[in-house]
Amino acid sequence: MTEGSRVRLMVVGVVVFAVFSALFARLWFLQVVSGNEVAAAVQTNSVRTVRIPAPRGEILDAKGNLLVDNAVVNAITVRRNLVGKERTVVVNRLAGLLRKPVPQIEKNLNDPRVSPYSAVPVATNVPFDQLAYVKEHQQDFPDVDAVSLTVRRYHLWGGMPVAPQVLGYVGEINGDELKARKGQGYALGDTVGKSGVEQSMEPELRGVAGYDKLEVDNTGRVVRVIAHKDPVPGDNVYLTIDANLQGTAQKALNDAMTQDRILRDPSIKDHFQTFNAPGGAFVLMDAHDGSVKAMASEPDYDPNQFVQGNGIPTPTWKWLNDPAHAYPLTNRAVQGLYAPGSTFKLVTATAMLQSGFRGPNTTYRDTGQFACCKGQPPFKNDHGTAYGTVDLSRALTVSSDAYFYTVGYGFWQAYKAGFGGHNIQDAATAYGFGSPTGIALADESKGRVPDAAWKVAFNKNNADPVAKQQNSIWNPGDNILLATGQGDLLVTPLQLASAYMTFADGGTRWVPRVVDKVTDYRGRLIRTYPAVQKPGVTLPAGSDAIQAGLEGVTKDPKGTAAGAFAGFPLDQIPVMAKTGTAQVQGKSATSVFVAVSNPGGPYSYVATSFVEEAGYGAAVSAPIVRHVFDAVYGLPSTPQVQIDAAANTAAGN
Amino acid sequence: MATVTRVPRTSVVLSDRKARLMATPFRHVDLVLLGSTIAIAFLGVLMIYSSTQPRLASEHIDQLYFVKRQVAAILVGIGLMVGVMAIDYRKLRDLGPLFYGATVLGLLAVLSPLGHATKGAQARFPLPGGFELQPSEFAKFALIVALAAYLSQHRGDLDAWRVAVTLTLAVIPIGLVLLQPDLGTDLVLVVILLGLLTVSGVKARHLVVLLLLAATAVGAVVQLGVLKRYQVDRLTSFLHQGQNTKGATYNVNQSKIAIANGHLTGKGFHKGTQTRLGFVPEQHTDFIFTVVGEELGFAGGATLLALFALIMWRTWRIAALAGDMFGSLLCVGVLAMLGFQVFENVGMTMGIMPVTGIPLPWMSYGGSAVMAYFMCIGLVLNVHMRRFT
Repeated sequence: MTEGSRVRLMVVGVVVFAVFSALFARLWFLQVVSGNEVAAAVQTNSVRTVRIPAPRGEILDAKGNLLVDNAVVNAITVRRNLVGKERTVVVNRLAGLLRKPVPQIEKNLNDPRVSPYSAVPVATNVPFDQLAYVKEHQQDFPDVDAVSLTVRRYHLWGGMPVAPQVLGYVGEINGDELKARKGQGYALGDTVGKSGVEQSMEPELRGVAGYDKLEVDNTGRVVRVIAHKDPVPGDNVYLTIDANLQGTAQKALNDAMTQDRILRDPSIKDHFQTFNAPGGAFVLMDAHDGSVKAMASEPDYDPNQFVQGNGIPTPTWKWLNDPAHAYPLTNRAVQGLYAPGSTFKLVTATAMLQSGFRGPNTTYRDTGQFACCKGQPPFKNDHGTAYGTVDLSRALTVSSDAYFYTVGYGFWQAYKAGFGGHNIQDAATAYGFGSPTGIALADESKGRVPDAAWKVAFNKNNADPVAKQQNSIWNPGDNILLATGQGDLLVTPLQLASAYMTFADGGTRWVPRVVDKVTDYRGRLIRTYPAVQKPGVTLPAGSDAIQAGLEGVTKDPKGTAAGAFAGFPLDQIPVMAKTGTAQVQGKSATSVFVAVSNPGGPYSYVATSFVEEAGYGAAVSAPIVRHVFDAVYGLPSTPQVQIDAAANTAAGN
Repeated sequence: MATVTRVPRTSVVLSDRKARLMATPFRHVDLVLLGSTIAIAFLGVLMIYSSTQPRLASEHIDQLYFVKRQVAAILVGIGLMVGVMAIDYRKLRDLGPLFYGATVLGLLAVLSPLGHATKGAQARFPLPGGFELQPSEFAKFALIVALAAYLSQHRGDLDAWRVAVTLTLAVIPIGLVLLQPDLGTDLVLVVILLGLLTVSGVKARHLVVLLLLAATAVGAVVQLGVLKRYQVDRLTSFLHQGQNTKGATYNVNQSKIAIANGHLTGKGFHKGTQTRLGFVPEQHTDFIFTVVGEELGFAGGATLLALFALIMWRTWRIAALAGDMFGSLLCVGVLAMLGFQVFENVGMTMGIMPVTGIPLPWMSYGGSAVMAYFMCIGLVLNVHMRRFT
């Protein structure tokens, strides 16, 4: 070997040495110096955490009957990472297997309401052979899973959904809800209550999600479970509702509305028109503590529609929100706003006695009308009927409007003279009108008790200065109409029932309660929800005259609801009640009825019924309440409620 | 004078022994070199088992499928190595043209329908029993022998013409391999050529011109679209690692994660999570070093590198000790080949070299390569055994 070659061999050796030094250095750096930094990368590489949603708590009625629980359904889901040509092929295969049209499956896959991170169910209640086929031919169905889905199951009562608006429904959490509940452990894809008890009792019902920490390989296949935490099922919620009474009430309301729709509205004289009776509400409460035994709102809907497969189908959702279908999702008992009509005379009578404007036995000569002001048409009784000489009790029994018009006018005069005159409004507020009752249901309306200040505020934004000035004046008519539950007054059915309950209980005002207790999933009691009082009403001397007058409504032959309560054992179970026929501009009247059975005694219940565009309170709503009272006391009754068409033409509202 | 008769006897005995020693060069085998080589091959079998067993088990295929085939290749390789050692390397010089011719024919044939394409390269002959023969691996051996023979013949007189002849000899197999295309093997062949030219005494100015030419050629290959898009991506992706976790840098990122996951002492044999879960693509072939890195840690990785360094050192030493220029050049060719392959392969798994399909000698799964490397080590051992004759 030449000397030159030796030198060059040395060079080669040095190069090789340098190269190996570099490798050693790099290896040291990678494994020892920066080793800990990669630990995180290794984690994200191979560890996946999968949430196991907690089974939602059950909802039961007061007697422990299941109203809502969870059902397991077989479903086929498709993960969202299926794209391109493969997706076309797989969707076609699925269409053939499930016997569904391709566009329908594509539509499911593109459903924007399903989170992009969760698999989309394309078929539920799938027969076993189809499930098995997918599992056995998994290589033909990449990203397709045969799974068991837990869905909310709302039990039916006699084929009807039970109190759907009270129970509410559930759905997948959306972005806003997620943001609002930050820090409460919610994740995309979680189910949350969207309305009713499902919403108001969400913290109790939801439970605590568990998880699986899984080790996956490069294809996402699960190799082993690193850690597992069982979910904790949500708590069970017991309602005060009695499913049987609830079902009876719903059916009575529904039947009455159906019967009413074929009746002619006699107040429309120039042509034949039946009642629309598009909606109604019913509330039944235990008058001792405000426990809601039944709360119905018609039309209703089947909450099971919300939980099948992909959530509620878009056409169904549109149908439910179409004004033509009278908003079945609305709980009219707490959200519906109505003029209470003559049922409000309880409040006017209370205000009258409190103020001493007129004593209980002071008589008034009812000529069928009351003219307050020169140049204005008089305010008339229904049909212009003159009831002759009436005292307070009689005025309530026969429902004399003129008697209460004068009360309303009297207070207006006091207002005009600067001596207050807010007596009716004050009494209404004391009874709970104008503010939510506080029942544990979301979105309760507060109603409206109009007064002079309200009228100014209401017209504050009127652009026309003259109209603004005119409309802002608290006129005699405003207070006169208020005295008979008309005009700008708005109440919810629950507020009305609550007011009568307050009167029957000597002025004690109970917050209506719908949730009785909560137990954990093993049945151990966690919490009870006792009855709560609010500041009540100091009943004035002479209130027994009010009670006597209201009892006369059902008992006295001239009582407006005497027909509806014919045959009811009023001697054993007195019922104080009031009919109301609330005029609505351009529509048929709202049929209103409110009643308290056995007031002040044991087994006392308060019930109210509102039916929109349905006619007289005595005609439709009174029979509904009577029918439910029959069921409450186990009395023999007709299988169906019988509305009283004749009451629509008789005098007295 | 009895001793007088004993002296020649003794000397006769001694000369007999010496003669016997001379006649049995196998007694001069470099055991350090041989031992390191076999140790690496054995470690490779373990690592192949570790990286292939989980997937084979999950697919209910023979869990030792790759292990058995690799062991068979090693045994055949050792046989070939012994065969290479048995023939005096100086006689091999005369066989140089034969090896060379056979290689060129093989490389031509593999491009014909006789060869078949796997993983985008027309590089293998299918053999019965699912085995394959990859002539480009044997081309390394043949090129070393042929170039060493030519260059040693004309040592001290390597003018421009002879350099040109040497280049031509090298370019023919390089061009054929490029047609497959197998860029990695081509790089190795080029490095062998450069190593041999350097040590054989080619004039410095010729070397500089050659390096410039090589650089231009590489630039042209990358620029002129001779390479496929993915090849360019692979070559350049190491410049921007960590940016694209699913594209061209995916391999390297996963590879680095696996190695780093080994830390100082490793996860333990057959316990590497990244390995068992199959996150590193081509792990039993080109990325076998990641198994060592993850399961045996820095301790194992450094030991393996040390074994390779030992081989480098022994080969370099034999090149220096060799009895003639041909022997030296054989060793330099093998040194250049192994040194480059280890650096490129291990460097690639650690993200300091671009990704090219170059196996880690004796470790990576692949029968033709294992056999070819054993044959090359056979050359080096051969030179060592016969350094006194």
